[in-house]
Amino acid sequence: MNGARVEFRGLRRRFGSTVALDGLDLTVEPGELIALLGPSGCGKTTALRCLAGFEQPDEGEVLVDGADITRVPANRRDAGMVFQSYSLFPNLNARDNVGFGMRVRKTPAARRHARAQELLELVGLPDVGGRYPHQLSGGQQQRVALARALALEPRVLLLDEPLSALDAKVRVTLREEIRRLQLSLGITTIFVTHDQEEALSMADRVAVLRDGRLEQVADPATLYDRPATPFVAEFVGAMNHLPGLLSGDQVTVLGQTLPVEGPRPAGPEADVLVRPEAVLVVPDGEGEGMVVVSSFRGSTARLRVRLGDGAEVLADVPGHDSARLAPGTAVRVRLVERPVLVSARTATGVTAAVPEPDAVA
Amino acid sequence: MASLTPQVTTPAVPGTAPARPGRPRRPRVWRGVVLLLAAVYFLVPLIASFVFTVKAPDQGFSLDAYGEIFSAEGFAGSLLLSLGLGAATIVIVLLLTLPAVVAVRLGAPRWRPVLEVVCTLPLVVPPITFVAGISTVLRWGPDYLASTPFYQTIIAVQDPGFPIVLVLAYVVLALPFAYRSLDAGLGAIDVRTLSEAARNLGASWPHVLLRVIVPNMRSAMAGASFLTLALVLGEFTIARLLSFQTFPVWIYTISGAHAQVSVAVSVFSLLITWLLLLALSSAGARQRSGS
Amino acid sequence: MGDSRTGSKSRWAVVPLLVFAVIVFGVPMLVLLGGTFTREGTPSAANLTESLQGAYLTSLIGSVKISALVAVLGGVLGTFLAQAVVTSRFRALREGVLTASGVLANFGGVPLAFAWIATLGNSGVVTTTLGLGDHGWSLYNFWGLTLVYLYFSVPLMVLTVVPALDGLRPQWREAAQNNGASTWQFWRYVGVPVLTPALLGGVILLFGGAFAAYATAQAMVGSSVPLVTLKIADALTGNVLIGHENVALALSLDMIVVAGLVMAVYLPLRRRSARWLR
Repeated sequence: MNGARVEFRGLRRRFGSTVALDGLDLTVEPGELIALLGPSGCGKTTALRCLAGFEQPDEGEVLVDGADITRVPANRRDAGMVFQSYSLFPNLNARDNVGFGMRVRKTPAARRHARAQELLELVGLPDVGGRYPHQLSGGQQQRVALARALALEPRVLLLDEPLSALDAKVRVTLREEIRRLQLSLGITTIFVTHDQEEALSMADRVAVLRDGRLEQVADPATLYDRPATPFVAEFVGAMNHLPGLLSGDQVTVLGQTLPVEGPRPAGPEADVLVRPEAVLVVPDGEGEGMVVVSSFRGSTARLRVRLGDGAEVLADVPGHDSARLAPGTAVRVRLVERPVLVSARTATGVTAAVPEPDAVA
Repeated sequence: MASLTPQVTTPAVPGTAPARPGRPRRPRVWRGVVLLLAAVYFLVPLIASFVFTVKAPDQGFSLDAYGEIFSAEGFAGSLLLSLGLGAATIVIVLLLTLPAVVAVRLGAPRWRPVLEVVCTLPLVVPPITFVAGISTVLRWGPDYLASTPFYQTIIAVQDPGFPIVLVLAYVVLALPFAYRSLDAGLGAIDVRTLSEAARNLGASWPHVLLRVIVPNMRSAMAGASFLTLALVLGEFTIARLLSFQTFPVWIYTISGAHAQVSVAVSVFSLLITWLLLLALSSAGARQRSGS
Repeated sequence: MGDSRTGSKSRWAVVPLLVFAVIVFGVPMLVLLGGTFTREGTPSAANLTESLQGAYLTSLIGSVKISALVAVLGGVLGTFLAQAVVTSRFRALREGVLTASGVLANFGGVPLAFAWIATLGNSGVVTTTLGLGDHGWSLYNFWGLTLVYLYFSVPLMVLTVVPALDGLRPQWREAAQNNGASTWQFWRYVGVPVLTPALLGGVILLFGGAFAAYATAQAMVGSSVPLVTLKIADALTGNVLIGHENVALALSLDMIVVAGLVMAVYLPLRRRSARWLR
């Protein structure tokens, strides 16, 4: 199987008054796994359905290996899709579900069954061929759905939040397996998700969508370390916005002077973007800060620290330090010495897409 | 067959677009034709019946037929009889079914299959065969039981003023509907937790049943009662073959002499069914929004 | 320990219902069975034999024929109507049709017959308006009765099938398309097989309803269409040879057997459908 190059060009789609896609441009390289990440309603699923042929864009086109497939009916497209849940045909057992596409193409039964068995083995379910969907667990159902999507050897694999209905543990195992399989098959894969952790851990590149537009597309590390827009910074991980003063290549923040990387805004006043794990917290009776909230997460603990000027900052500290950094502890706050991103001045504070630790005192 | 459909709701999934059919035009034409034919078939008899009842040979239009309903001989008597039978049937069917359904849910789940069978059989067995059996019992009974107190009983249940035998038969016919309605109602509330909480607070079993479970089942019981009432008000086979003058039998009897009146009553009874079922479905809706 | 005590006590709550059913339902059924095999006081299969001969057999076949026709026609028409409603974007249409179906499915018996007599009977409104009488139209035959039975059967089918059609997930159609299936192939390999239990179940319900119907036929056609329910009623009201009274019981037993066989097909089907369309 060889992956295809997929291009979305100026894709627009509206449903009544809501705009699902507002001029989406995106190119997916052959053999790449790209994650479409964004909040619900950002158009990521619509983009996928345009590629699968279940939606027609109002404007723009979808190209696979340079050929425009925008008007090709869904059942003639070369893209296997795995749906969110419950997509297995309930009247067919796992083997016949996987072999469905071959049956439609009139493949002889013996070859069909042999191939279906191969695929079931590929997804780690060699023994469930005779079982019906209602006899399979959620994770098994999605594996069978994956096998079915791969059965016709498509050049593109489409995954529409395939893990969202599963238990946390199954989710992690299955995503690792999907990635392993995708790498060994070299199939171009588009993965729609609203779970940033999923996107960052699986994808070669992550495309962040917002209101039907592409905000940023980059490899996970770049996306995390150098978000192109405040929205991306907010959506991927947590981010502190701390007030800083620019001077040349340097910025002064919390009394420290750090080198600046990336573009600089015009004025001397700027927001310095700092991830919680780049904030160091040390207990210090003389310190200006105070731990307000602490939430223990096992290997780390996330603290909300109030600074002397009333601003708050999120900090991730090693889990074993959480005991001596209990709420109420006076602390000193420092930033890790490394180049930082700055952006034009907005409201000071913390933005995060992850749940805040406020609940835990 | 008075099974109101469970309200089938289609949850709107945020973020996913409403699936638009690939070729929107053809299905719409097809759908329009089907709906139009259905509308003609189902509306014409209703409209025609009404026209039939208000069409007077000389004046053209008259509502006399509807007035005549009330003055026709036997109207009040048969309607009152049917309503009385309905009330008695409702009381007995609820008294028998409610404790059984609660017991099966709480303490004796092994009896559920038995109850299911008992409450399905009356649906399978056609009413006319049931009445064949009943009339045979009533015919033979006096011969075999002449010397026992049962003789008096057999005579008493056939009192034309209030035929208890009809109530008994109607209870059997109503069992499936009452059972299903009450079982569904119980399924919607967590009886076990409710009754355990009440027991934990020191309530006795009768107290639990009357003060905790019954109030939470009000609309299911109303549903069962409405269905039973509709059934009794429409039942013809058993009443006619046992020769009792209930409301449907009365409509049939007067049809020979007063064709217009009998059609007028038919329209009238359809309206009553409609109202009963509307009341039923709105009671159901109230419970859903209430809980 | 508390549980087992509750169990043994709550069993008693089931007893009144069972006792009632055994006496009021069981005794007549036993008497029916006994009577079927008794002629003039002695055990005999003569009633059963007679019930399966001549005019009795004709009426039994007549009932099965009209019920089967109503079931199949009602099944097909009801499914189309249900599909038209389910695929419609108008919620009000859907709610309206479902409510109307709930009412019309219960609109049987004598009133239904009179409504149709007023419409298409010999002096019915439509008959006289369109002058159908001159073209030899009559409502009081096999086809007329079928037309009338459909009036409550189609709505009943709609009520049975709509939940099943709602249970057809859009993902199945899309997954089928994604695997290269055309619309026709989707229905052939997935849609129809998934719906079959529900459809068959509905058809069987319609059969049972038409088979047991008595009031409508009695009020409409009297005895001009041979139906087993009419024959039983005839025999019960004394219109039968002396000594042959129990033929009515034998006919009833025939009916129960037919209805029982049909139901025996329905129940497992319903279970399967429920599992698929959760």
